[in-house]
Amino acid sequence: MAQATFPTRQEVDFVVVGSGSAGGIVARELAMAGFSTVVLEQGPYLRPSDFNHDEWAVTQNEELAWGPRKGHPQTFRRYEHEKAELSDRANLGYAHNVGGSSVHFSGNFWRLRPIDFMERSVRGEISGTTFADWPISYEELEPYYTRVEWEIGISGLAGPWDPPRSRDYPMEPLPPKASGVLLEQAASKLGWTAYPQPHAILSKAFNGRPGCIHCGFCNGFGCEVGAKSSTAEAMIPQALESGNCELRTGCTVSRVETNSAGRVTEVVYWEEDGTEQSQRAKAVVLCANGAETPRLLLLSETSRAPNGLANSSGMVGKNLMFNGGSNTAGMFEHPINAHKSVATTRVIHDFYSIDPSHGFYGGGGIDERHLARGLPMSLALRGPRFSDASWGSDFKKAVSQEFTHACSFNGHTTTLPQLTNNVSLDPEVKDMWGRPALRTTFMNHPDDFATMKFFAERGEELMEAAGATQIASSYASEGQNGGVHLLGTCRMGDDPENSVVNRFNRAHDVPNLFMVDGSSMTTSGRGQPTMTIMALAFRAADNLIQSAKRGEI
Amino acid sequence: MTNKVLTRREFLRTTTETARNSLILLSAPALLAAGQQAHAAMLAGEELTTLTVIEAIEFEAIASRIIPTDETPGAKEAGVIYFIDNVLGNSRAELLPELRTGLSQLQQSVDSKFGNPMFSALTADQQDSLLQDIEKTTFFTDVRYLAVAGMFSMPSLGGNRDRVGWEVMGFEDRHAWVSPYGYYDAQQMDSEK
Repeated sequence: MAQATFPTRQEVDFVVVGSGSAGGIVARELAMAGFSTVVLEQGPYLRPSDFNHDEWAVTQNEELAWGPRKGHPQTFRRYEHEKAELSDRANLGYAHNVGGSSVHFSGNFWRLRPIDFMERSVRGEISGTTFADWPISYEELEPYYTRVEWEIGISGLAGPWDPPRSRDYPMEPLPPKASGVLLEQAASKLGWTAYPQPHAILSKAFNGRPGCIHCGFCNGFGCEVGAKSSTAEAMIPQALESGNCELRTGCTVSRVETNSAGRVTEVVYWEEDGTEQSQRAKAVVLCANGAETPRLLLLSETSRAPNGLANSSGMVGKNLMFNGGSNTAGMFEHPINAHKSVATTRVIHDFYSIDPSHGFYGGGGIDERHLARGLPMSLALRGPRFSDASWGSDFKKAVSQEFTHACSFNGHTTTLPQLTNNVSLDPEVKDMWGRPALRTTFMNHPDDFATMKFFAERGEELMEAAGATQIASSYASEGQNGGVHLLGTCRMGDDPENSVVNRFNRAHDVPNLFMVDGSSMTTSGRGQPTMTIMALAFRAADNLIQSAKRGEI
Repeated sequence: MTNKVLTRREFLRTTTETARNSLILLSAPALLAAGQQAHAAMLAGEELTTLTVIEAIEFEAIASRIIPTDETPGAKEAGVIYFIDNVLGNSRAELLPELRTGLSQLQQSVDSKFGNPMFSALTADQQDSLLQDIEKTTFFTDVRYLAVAGMFSMPSLGGNRDRVGWEVMGFEDRHAWVSPYGYYDAQQMDSEK
């Protein structure tokens, strides 16, 4: 069936803002349930034949991401009393294309575990934070994790390392790389378990898409064969085929309009050439990511909601979390060639929750990767890890040695929610549309640092056990100044006083407005949030459909 | 501006423009030396779209110290200068004025030390020593950025000719790989046989 088209003055059932990990799923679910749905997406719809291995275009010219070079400057500061400085890159990193960052992510698909949803109750209050339980449990989300695995297409191996699951993975995991073998052997020596990394990458043909061919241009790049389970490949085509969904690309939403009853009535946006349009809708779902969703709410202020739409709690944009990390590089005697195939193939979760006896809160996982996402230019531009040379023959030798013979063991860790870490509107800097630029205020909690250090130390022990000849660890010891996991900025909770959306992703303040993306996450999880963002999207869509059928929107 | 094989008159005009751009007047012997080098460079018949011949010779000399030719090919063999010339004409056009100013300052410093403004006319040791003095400057960081990017970018962008940059790195741009990818996974597969 052909893609639907709707006049802007016709009140459609739903407008979905953003077509990424969450938006792609919500649009597909609503459209397939028979609701008229318009999806507004800032970027273009790129398909496998549009992607290539052009590292200059992708990593340096922001071909798949927003940033200052594309007219979207951002500012950054550590603390709220400081003036934010203009950044030369996007502190809050995300894609601008159909499928959002699921097009270029590395597809590590860990589920959260039962502890993630009730950790505040288990661990108690943590000073300086807004650490809280989620309003839902792992058990409530589990069926939707399973739907992600089977409908999006996830490869993996079920085992004792997993949280409880109702169904096996639909396909076997991807084969281990040399770096995965080294991590596995090292873990085994230390009494820990490295298990096959679950991936949103097909290990064999599935749902009409082919399996991975291991080209290596994965993390940061679009998949040239469609084996990566982005919503652009796994969801949007089905949404369009339903005949109930219209996808409008190149459309940047400027404002969500509300009426005197406080209900959303329409979504105002610019087409690529600057023409202003407005789409009327019965309900609106914002899936614009943890940076753009709160920004749009703040930009949609009215005399009734002077601090921004859906923001009576003051929590819109607050509690920004990125996931912390550590990086332990190791040099080996023989070639590893970690630039081939996917980003990582083994993961350790023995430290999912660091024992409280260490005196701080935290936890995470450890996986193995190439030093520079398998990219020669990126490795050389950053320079070697085991030499100070940044140019000359020594530099050349060092980078070529590290490209093939080194890998890193990476920690992926918790970030605590804090009101002082947030996304807000910059008072001076404007983007290409004349809107206030995204301003990030961020400084890690002391426990975030302790956790990153803990993981750097475990990384060193693993490298030693793996037989590395040289070892070097690093983590953001001065604090993170950005990230690609944009979490917590419209947090989910039962109490309208301190959360933005309810347990079904409905805005506490606005009955026909929903926010579904990383912004809903009450806590950060342990490092790979997209699996959870997608599960939340399936769950929110399920409840949207039931509510709409009952006339309760 | 496009320079292919230049006539003597065109070359003299080019070098005069460069001299004006460089804020210094080239002395006659330097001009002769520059002319000989420019002529040598033009033997390859390569086309420049943004830089003048002299600028290209000078930037190539700097790039060749950043990624030298030693046991393996360097920036020169990779044709990095043609990547630099290419991107300074489009996606990195904003760097051009500052790079020209930086080059002219470097040339002034070369001239005051050696009585000849051409950086490319110096020995490798002399060049390294001068670059060490300026390695923290934006000028040097920007030339390094472009030289390194040109060495390892897709050959269609002008540099990394014959994929020599990738070869130096041990990288091969293939559409597909089959496990095992390295030594340790191959070893494990063998032991499981």
